[in-house]
Amino acid sequence: MILVVLENQRGNIHAFSKEAVAAGQSLGSKLGMDVSILCLGENASSLKEQANDYKSKSLILAEHDMISAYSADGYSKVLSDVIKDVSPKYVIMGHSYMVRDFLPRVSAKLDIPFVSDIISVTYDGDSPIFARQVFNAKLATNIQPDSSSNTTLLSFQSAAFSSDEIELGGSDAVSVFEVSLNAEDIKSSSEPEFQESASGVDLTTADVIVSVGRGIESQDNIPMVESLAKAMGAEIASSRPVVDMGWLPSYRQVGSSGQSVSPNLYFSVGISGAIQHVVGMKGSKNIIAINKDEEAPIFEIADYAVIGDLMEIVPKLTEELQK
Amino acid sequence: MIKFSLLEQIVLILFLSSGLSFFLYQLLLRLKIVLKGKSDFSIDQLPDRLLRVFNEVILHKKVASGGRKFAGIMHAFVMYGFIFFGLITINHFLMAFGIHLFNETFRLWYFKIFGAPWAFLCSFGILALAYRRFVLKPKALGKFSATSGVVTIFIVTLMITYLIDELHLLKSPVALKVNWWLHSGVIGGFLFLIPKSKHMHLVLSPFNIFLKPFEIPHHPAIPIDLEASEEELDNLLLDLSRLSKDQALDIFTCVECGRCTDVCPANRGGGILDPKYHFILNLKQPMLDSGDVNVVDKINVEAGWECTTCQACTEVCPVGNHVEKADEIRSFQVLAEGDVPQEYQKLLRNLQETGNTEGASSSDLLKQLPAYTSDKELVLWLGCFAKHAMDPNFIGSVKNFTKILDSAGVTYGVLSNEQCSGDPANKLGDKLTYQLLMDQNVEELNKVKNVTTMCPHCVVNLQKEYSKYHEIKYEVKHHTQVISELLEQGKININPGSLEKVTYHDPCNLSRTLDEVSAPRNAIKAAAPDFFELDESGKETLCCGAGGALWWKKDSGKGRTHLLRAEQVIESKTDTVVTGCNFCYGMMNQGIGPLTPAGQEPIKVKDVADIVAENLV
Amino acid sequence: MKIAVLTKAIPSYESSIRIDSSSTWIDESVVNFVVNESDSYALEEALQIKEKLDNGSEVVVVTMGSQDNTSKVLKDGLAKGADRAIFIQNEDSNTDPLSIAKLFSQNLKDENFDLVFSGLQSDDLGSGQTGVLIGELLGMSTATLGIETDIQDGKIKIKRELESGWFQWVTLPFPASVSIQSGINEPRYPSLKGIMGAKRKESKVIDGQLSDDPKQNFINLFVPKTEKATEKIEGDVDGIVAKLMDILKNKLRVIS
Repeated sequence: MILVVLENQRGNIHAFSKEAVAAGQSLGSKLGMDVSILCLGENASSLKEQANDYKSKSLILAEHDMISAYSADGYSKVLSDVIKDVSPKYVIMGHSYMVRDFLPRVSAKLDIPFVSDIISVTYDGDSPIFARQVFNAKLATNIQPDSSSNTTLLSFQSAAFSSDEIELGGSDAVSVFEVSLNAEDIKSSSEPEFQESASGVDLTTADVIVSVGRGIESQDNIPMVESLAKAMGAEIASSRPVVDMGWLPSYRQVGSSGQSVSPNLYFSVGISGAIQHVVGMKGSKNIIAINKDEEAPIFEIADYAVIGDLMEIVPKLTEELQK
Repeated sequence: MIKFSLLEQIVLILFLSSGLSFFLYQLLLRLKIVLKGKSDFSIDQLPDRLLRVFNEVILHKKVASGGRKFAGIMHAFVMYGFIFFGLITINHFLMAFGIHLFNETFRLWYFKIFGAPWAFLCSFGILALAYRRFVLKPKALGKFSATSGVVTIFIVTLMITYLIDELHLLKSPVALKVNWWLHSGVIGGFLFLIPKSKHMHLVLSPFNIFLKPFEIPHHPAIPIDLEASEEELDNLLLDLSRLSKDQALDIFTCVECGRCTDVCPANRGGGILDPKYHFILNLKQPMLDSGDVNVVDKINVEAGWECTTCQACTEVCPVGNHVEKADEIRSFQVLAEGDVPQEYQKLLRNLQETGNTEGASSSDLLKQLPAYTSDKELVLWLGCFAKHAMDPNFIGSVKNFTKILDSAGVTYGVLSNEQCSGDPANKLGDKLTYQLLMDQNVEELNKVKNVTTMCPHCVVNLQKEYSKYHEIKYEVKHHTQVISELLEQGKININPGSLEKVTYHDPCNLSRTLDEVSAPRNAIKAAAPDFFELDESGKETLCCGAGGALWWKKDSGKGRTHLLRAEQVIESKTDTVVTGCNFCYGMMNQGIGPLTPAGQEPIKVKDVADIVAENLV
Repeated sequence: MKIAVLTKAIPSYESSIRIDSSSTWIDESVVNFVVNESDSYALEEALQIKEKLDNGSEVVVVTMGSQDNTSKVLKDGLAKGADRAIFIQNEDSNTDPLSIAKLFSQNLKDENFDLVFSGLQSDDLGSGQTGVLIGELLGMSTATLGIETDIQDGKIKIKRELESGWFQWVTLPFPASVSIQSGINEPRYPSLKGIMGAKRKESKVIDGQLSDDPKQNFINLFVPKTEKATEKIEGDVDGIVAKLMDILKNKLRVIS
């Protein structure tokens, strides 16, 4: 059996968890295994309601006062107990910051492998092979976990699977796992989560970057691109000229004299693609570039070359995104 | 003839001797501190030194240069006034003891030829300077200076009392006596005023100009022995916080004119660095307080990291100061404190681990060029900038230089084990990493005779800096010097075919440090007849912003230092700007593109090798 | 306070990474090994804690790997101010995080560290598990992605970075294992005194043997496909915007 564990993100199922459900279902159908879904800890009941439609063998609820907020100690203890109880072959989660924080502890507690940050799955007959990136994504590796292990923990990188692929059909059964936790199990304590407005921005960790160049023509047009970035949930960045003009602060500059970035999507707006800029962003996984000039060098490295007037395209696209 | 009583004579002796004692005490106090400095004064090249004193003191060549021609001439009036009044002053005091240096005829002639005209010129000069300081208030002069006001009043009083006396305007003996005492009081007042103010320059600057080291910049070697004992290490670290004798004398000589700040690219670009204060005046009181020269840690660290080490401040100083102290504060921060901005740590680690600034494991250009063998005339030293295509366009310039060498039939080759010259490590104060690279390079280079490179930073290090640590057996020429020689020898021929407007940006390292302004000009003018000079050119050039390892400073902050020169070039309305340094080339390319107003054709950036190769016949 | 800092030598970002003949590892002969970036932040954090407490605390740099690659990692750590070093020498190519963590734990157990700091993840294998695994194996409390620390009586407060600009403070009793996020501080540069003093500091070498029964292993390394087929999008604005929406939603899935 395959056990998918759902993570709470401010009241909702974490986007990565949805992809984990899709991953679990895909793996299940390939290997002929049932898929069960575990709603664990924080906000578990609500997650269970949200996951009601997902096709699964069973929906397991594991709740306790002591894990009503995330705790690495509590989560790792309870998940270990669940695994001991239901003996899944694979436990699947999205590779979120929370998963990095506690899932290795389950691996150590139960002495089972944890293959993290998987980008794709292939099959060697009946046994799955997991691919993950290594050496700063310059290489990838295929990993086969020890087949003698009763359970293997897996976490998937975002976008390895799509939540659109989730098979619906509801759960055959709903069960409640009897959580047993003692005060001595929880050593650490946590305070409520909070947000901070960032003064300096680490563009290197951004998943989506909207980057603006000289084609923007005037400082007055910067807010237009900022709205686009906001609508896409992206960080805004720029090429050197924009920073030199003082239109954006220097910590937003990408290129040889700025930051080097490799986001999932680099959306370049009015950047011609001078070499000094390209060296800072060519590692991006996907590149969309808008430029008037069909000959702009940025198009040589772009996946999607949009030839057109950014002044028209950007506001329309923003409007569409905001819908 | 005024008669003086014994009492008056005693009062005068007491007054003058207390003034002289005070003056000498203050002077000796400062000299004692100066002599605690590291490394001794040098008086080699005596004729050159004397010539320099003649040019800079007697002829006022630096005081009356640039935008300060008028102020400089006014200053000359005041200074010559003081000189010509020397004799008059001696005569004035001897008079009180009945001794007359001048007979009446001589006195009259002296008055007509020197006394009267210089009394007027000197008064005019000081009043003009006072007008400039207190009414025009140029920013460089800084805050309100009370002593300058007092000096103005003193000098004018001296001249008036002198003229009153010489023109016999007073008849009553009492009035005459009062006038005499007023004149004496003011002279005595100077003895109290000079040593504790910037007016000390009138005593020290001729000596300071005489003793000024010729090398620009002039920072002593900091050899590091990794096998040294703990005590030796402690001494080395202690030494890092100390100024040299020459630097200490500079600080007491400073006349606070602010020219160094006026020309500073970091300051002009909106940075905090103010060389007048950060490198000079801020160190003065700590030196007097401690009676010692261990004041390097009083230099503002942040300001020190902003410096492009372009030496414009030192070049412009009228009293012979080596102003820049980025080297001192950076060495102190790196070696003693281990406090280095993150972007530079990455650079220094690249240098330690890969021998180049970029952390690259191979170089395409190195593979494309012929390797040096002992049958070849020249080693072509590439430098990291070319080797690792820090501006990809510059590869074309290197190819153009090899085309020139080929055309002249000069054989050359590159060294496969060329390490970075160490310039960025040296400029950042990491003398340990610098030595690591230098030692490897010297070993290789001492096997060859002639070296040429397109990077002035490399020339400075390979030739000048290395020789502070090692005996070097090779000779290095900048490629513009090689090209200029080939032209003179007729080994290459140029058809002056570049008809566009061309100007030249002098790289700091080439002009100020290597004293080479003519070779590149000869080469450019041979190719492009329509040549003109930029506003700040030759040894007065403005830094492109990349010097002092600032090329690698990722967070350029609010400062516009890296844009100033590119802006000037755009404003000059030239068609092409030629330069002789790869870093300047890169900065011009990076700056001119974005700064050129929309609709205007961007100015072409070329190396000297480009414009020559394009016009070879 | 006894603080262990786990550091690792990894190939520099600029190094050329080539797969070797075994196809399970890279050709190390062309690689320049450097200190893993987030590890240097972890070391700086430990040194700052030691300096702040000013009570004879001890910072120990710990690394594992082959002599050739790791020697400069330890030297650098000692030069920056660590008090001593532990080097677990092994030349194995075992890439199983759990085996690695077990070997660390066996050799650190008797040291009774109050704190174990590690970088967020190594930029070579990038599992990001070692610090947490060691914490569990040694019965410590754990936290990851620390972006600020505050030592209090008998415990450490950690500001954890969560996703998309959120943070959380957690409090861990000692002993604790904490992974440190890059950017938490400004790592120092080794001073001359540090570099020369490093030679006199204790550096313990342990011959370590990784488990011959790893839980997971690399089958083969491969170069991710990089072929770029640029798709041109032009025409009227509405068409372009519709096409972009489709790409963002269905191909790249950056919006839902």
